[in-house]
Amino acid sequence: MSVSAVTTSSVQRSLRSGGRDWAGFVFEIVLLLSLLFALVTLFVLLADVLAKGLPVFAERGLDFLTSPLSSRPSQAGVAQGIIGTLIMAVLVPLFAFPVGVLTAVYLEEYAPDNRLTRLITVNIRNLAGVPSVVYGLLGLAVFVAAFAALGFGNGRNILAGALTLAVLVLPLVIITASEAIRAVPSTIREAGFGIGASHWQVVRTLILPSAAPGILTGMVLALSRALGETAPLILAGAVMGSFSTGGSLGEILTGPYTVLPIIVYDWARKPQADFRELTSAAIIVLLAVTLFANAIAILLRNRYVREW
Amino acid sequence: MTITSSKRVGALALAAIFVVGACTSSASPTPAEGTQAPAGEVSGSITVSGSSTVEPISTGVAELFKETNPEFKWDITGPGTGDGFKRFCAGETDVSDASRKIKDEEKAACEDAGIDWVELKIAYDGITVLTNPANDAISCLSFPDLYALIGPESTGFTKWSDAAAIATELGSSTVLPAADLSITGPGEESGTYDTFVELALAKIAESRGKEAVTRPDYQASPNDNVIIEGIAGSPTSLGWVGFAFAEESKDSIKELAVAKEANGTCVAPSAETISDGSYPLSRALYIYVNKAKAMENPALAAWVDFYLAPGTIEQVLKDVPYVNLPAGELDATRAAWEAVK
Repeated sequence: MSVSAVTTSSVQRSLRSGGRDWAGFVFEIVLLLSLLFALVTLFVLLADVLAKGLPVFAERGLDFLTSPLSSRPSQAGVAQGIIGTLIMAVLVPLFAFPVGVLTAVYLEEYAPDNRLTRLITVNIRNLAGVPSVVYGLLGLAVFVAAFAALGFGNGRNILAGALTLAVLVLPLVIITASEAIRAVPSTIREAGFGIGASHWQVVRTLILPSAAPGILTGMVLALSRALGETAPLILAGAVMGSFSTGGSLGEILTGPYTVLPIIVYDWARKPQADFRELTSAAIIVLLAVTLFANAIAILLRNRYVREW
Repeated sequence: MTITSSKRVGALALAAIFVVGACTSSASPTPAEGTQAPAGEVSGSITVSGSSTVEPISTGVAELFKETNPEFKWDITGPGTGDGFKRFCAGETDVSDASRKIKDEEKAACEDAGIDWVELKIAYDGITVLTNPANDAISCLSFPDLYALIGPESTGFTKWSDAAAIATELGSSTVLPAADLSITGPGEESGTYDTFVELALAKIAESRGKEAVTRPDYQASPNDNVIIEGIAGSPTSLGWVGFAFAEESKDSIKELAVAKEANGTCVAPSAETISDGSYPLSRALYIYVNKAKAMENPALAAWVDFYLAPGTIEQVLKDVPYVNLPAGELDATRAAWEAVK
């Protein structure tokens, strides 16, 4: 209607005028400025953190990565945080990924398109916007309490923390997986049915493999979010202070734990000025570990990329 | 091709987890040489929670203790004194770190849960009143001045001189400048807030029939380093933080002397004035030990013994900036603990 009329007339005008497209030029500048703004902010942050944190690595070297927490800045290290964050990077996808993807497959492929389904979808989208500290309260009330009731000490262990983070990123996983499944060309689905494949066969051999890159991209986003979270884990029992256990896998899974963001938060509020540099160094380690976890997820995704 | 490379990365990731894991277990401080005393074989674990102020002291003691007892394990957290007592009185922790005495309602909670405890005073901490180094007009404030500037009746004051009327009424002759007043301090959840209100404001508030609180309109932060930045960022600021935090940032802030009475003797905060009690804004730090758990857990009893042994706290406080108890008070603490054992 009016849209096509406007388009036609504007096309005619620009064809006839022959002058410079000033509006387009300004628009391009605005786009560039937006990009620059994001990049400059990132670089300022990185430069600040690197300037303060790198001397710690120069001075302490690997010792900083392999030492446990301590109240003495000269001896404090992030080993327990690295272990905690890496275990989170394994456990959170393990819990969140199957449940999230299966939910998305059900919602997109099997659920009838009725009011209830739409209500559920809208709610999942809302859950993605709930502040993370609320999930921390959930983790405290459900997972920590459950582990305590089952006799795992006081219940403040890394499994409770990982389950809390898994629930936190679940909406993100479901939404991105749904969108990836919806983006699979309908011709593929129809071709599958056309040669007599059952619904299960179509989902398993056609839809999931073609949606895999999109689903895994969602996983990368979810993982980055989970590994950077502090607030929910403060409530779900991560240790702010120090602990000495963690020598064996059993102790790590059922005993006290911490993760890198918690260490960053804890050190930033310590009185000794030396902890300011250690905080920056811990941020560098957190960035490196997150990049490492994401790199694996991205390599995994590239395995599945397929052109249609 | 791509398949093999991603498999390799996966294997690498797993390997990394185990390597780091192996490193921590071996990275724990090695026991000092020549420490083969019979007491050096304590094994077992303790759980401590409570004040974030006391947490570094307890952690420091635990680290020292581990040097001679490599099998000793601990879990020490610092969510805050109040949270610590909640867990302590639920029987979750063996020891509660506290930057104030236990409150009556916390006592009742412990009693309901059948938990019997002993209170042990371990060190002192001061609260420092701060301003910006550029603020030459002020070098000492009395409790009446602090009440006039930060107390409940000061709500809405935007200049130091706005508080002059109340300060004069309370007998102070401190000249308050007509400069902007921006206040930064800890929030209500903090032990430092409680102690400041109790020591500096409560008495005057009571005598004037007001509630013992601060004005609500100030910048509150749970992070003492943020408070210091707030003070350093405004030329005529005012605020208060724990002594340790102020001492670590001496070049960006100015510590004010404090007088208890209007026009009284100004005392500057220092380790000496805090431990001898002449600095009016000093507080004691405590650990609360669960008696029953100390009886049944030899590691806990041995750790507390070591905590109070001559020289331990002194050694820890070389790295952690709080103030030692005078010798007599530490003896009294030790006597209180011996009586329980």
